[in-house]
Amino acid sequence: MIPRPPTSRPEWRLPGRSVNWEPWLAPVGVALLLLMLPFVFGLGREGGMELANFEPLFRLSTLQFLAFGLVWTVSVALVAILVSLPLATLFALGRLSGRGFIRWPSIAYIEGIRSLPVLLLIFYMFFRLGSGQLPFVSKDALAVIIALTLYTAAVNAEVIRAGIVSLPKGQFEAAQALGMTYPRMMQSVILPQSFRRVLPTLIAQFTTVVKDTSLGAIIGTVELAQRGRIVFQGFRNPLETYFVVAIMYFVVNFILGRISLRIQRRRKTTPLPREVQEKLFADEMG
Amino acid sequence: MDTVIALELMAGLRMTLYLSVVSGILSLIFGTLLGILRVSPWLPLRALAEGYIEFFRNIPLLIVMFFVFAGLPFAGIRLDPVGVDYSNSAIVALTAYTSAYVGEVVRAGIESISQGQVEAGRSLGMSYVQLLAYVLLPQTFRMIVPPLGNLFIALTKNTSIASAIAVQELMYKTQLIESRTFNGDIYFVTGLIYLVLTIPLAALVNAVERKLVIQN
Repeated sequence: MIPRPPTSRPEWRLPGRSVNWEPWLAPVGVALLLLMLPFVFGLGREGGMELANFEPLFRLSTLQFLAFGLVWTVSVALVAILVSLPLATLFALGRLSGRGFIRWPSIAYIEGIRSLPVLLLIFYMFFRLGSGQLPFVSKDALAVIIALTLYTAAVNAEVIRAGIVSLPKGQFEAAQALGMTYPRMMQSVILPQSFRRVLPTLIAQFTTVVKDTSLGAIIGTVELAQRGRIVFQGFRNPLETYFVVAIMYFVVNFILGRISLRIQRRRKTTPLPREVQEKLFADEMG
Repeated sequence: MDTVIALELMAGLRMTLYLSVVSGILSLIFGTLLGILRVSPWLPLRALAEGYIEFFRNIPLLIVMFFVFAGLPFAGIRLDPVGVDYSNSAIVALTAYTSAYVGEVVRAGIESISQGQVEAGRSLGMSYVQLLAYVLLPQTFRMIVPPLGNLFIALTKNTSIASAIAVQELMYKTQLIESRTFNGDIYFVTGLIYLVLTIPLAALVNAVERKLVIQN
C-alpha cells in the first residue's frame, strides 16, 4: 500500500475558487467587523462610543429623518441611471462608429468625463444653474442629478460598448444578410442582446451612483450624509451617527450587489473582458 | 488669469499630489496586508478581511471622511495638531477607503495564480509565509500593475473629496477662487489640471495592460 501523507496538517488551498467559494463569508465578516468597530472606537472605555449615544438614533423621529435621506439617495440614483441609459447607448454606438467625426467626440466625452472627479462636475453644474428658482427640485438637487447622469452616461457607455463588442460576429453578418438597415439591426438584433448581457453590470453600477449621491452634501443637499451631520450636531454623537449612517448605505449597496451577482449566476452570462472590469472597479471607487 | 490665482491653484495641486502619493503608498501597504489576510487559511482572519473589504467598498468615501474628521476627536484620537489643516485626517480616510480596493485587487491577483504553484511550493517544503513571499506575491504584483494604476487614478480624483473637510487641495482652492471672483470658468481650468494629471496615467496603464496581454 502506498503510504498516504499525514492528514493532521491540512493542505491549504487558495480559497475563493469555485470549489470552495464561500458566499457567506462577506455577511459574516461584515457582521464581525461591525461588532468589533464600536469597541475599537472606545465602547466600554472612557471617551469614544457609548451605548447611551446610540439611543437617540433609534428613536422613531430620528430613524424617519434618516430614512428620508436614504429614499432621496436611492431615487436620485435611479433617475440618474435611467436617464443616463439612452445617452450611454448613443455614446457607445458613437464610439463604435466608423465615421471619425462621430467617433472622436464620443471618445473625448467618455474618457474626458471619466477622468474628472464627480465633485468637480457637481460644482460646475451648481454654478451653471445660476441663481434662479426652479419649479420642482432645489438647485443643488438638480446639480447632483445632472452631474451624476453625465458621469454615469460615460461609464455606462463603456459597459454597453463592451456588451456590443462581445456579441459574436455572426449576429451582425446575419442581420446584414437579411438586408436590415443599421438602425434596424441595432434596435432589433444587437442592442437587446447586449443589454441582456450587461444587465448585471448595469445593476452593479447602482452602488457607484448611490455612493456618489453623498457628494451632494457638500453643496448643501439634505440627503443621507447631510442628515447624519444634522443629527449628530443635535445629539453630539458623530461617531455613533456616522456609524449608523454608514451601515444604512452599506445595506442598500450590499443588497444591490447581491442582486447583480444573482442575475449573473442565474443567467450564466459571460463576464465582461478583464480590462473593462478593471476600469469599472476603479470607477466604483471614485 | 492673474498670477495670484495661478499660484493658488499651484498650491492646491501640490496638496492634491501630496494626498494622493502618501495615501497611495499607505493603501498599497495596508491593502496588500488585507489581500493576504483575505486568502488566509484561518477562517476568522479571512472573514474579517472580507468584511472590511465589503464594508468599505459599499459606503461612500465622504462618510469615512466625516467619521474621521468629526468623529475621531470624540474618541480622543486627534490626528491633526490644532491650527494646522486636516490633511492627516484626509490621508487616514483615503487610506482606509482605498485599502479595501487594493485588498480586493491583491486577493484577485493571488487567486488567479494556478493551484499547481501552491502545490509545487508545498512539495518543496515551503511554509505559508515562504510560499507567499517567494511564489505568490512576486507573480501577483506583476499581474496587478494595471488595476493598481487604475485605482491610483481614482484615488487622485478622490482627493477632491478632502475639500469637504477644508483641506486646501485643488478643489477647495477652486471653490475659494470661484466664491471670490464669481467666475465659474475656473472650474474649466481645474478640470484641465485634473485631466493633465489623470489622462497620461490612464495612457500608461493602458500601455502596460497591452504589454502584459501580449506576454500572456
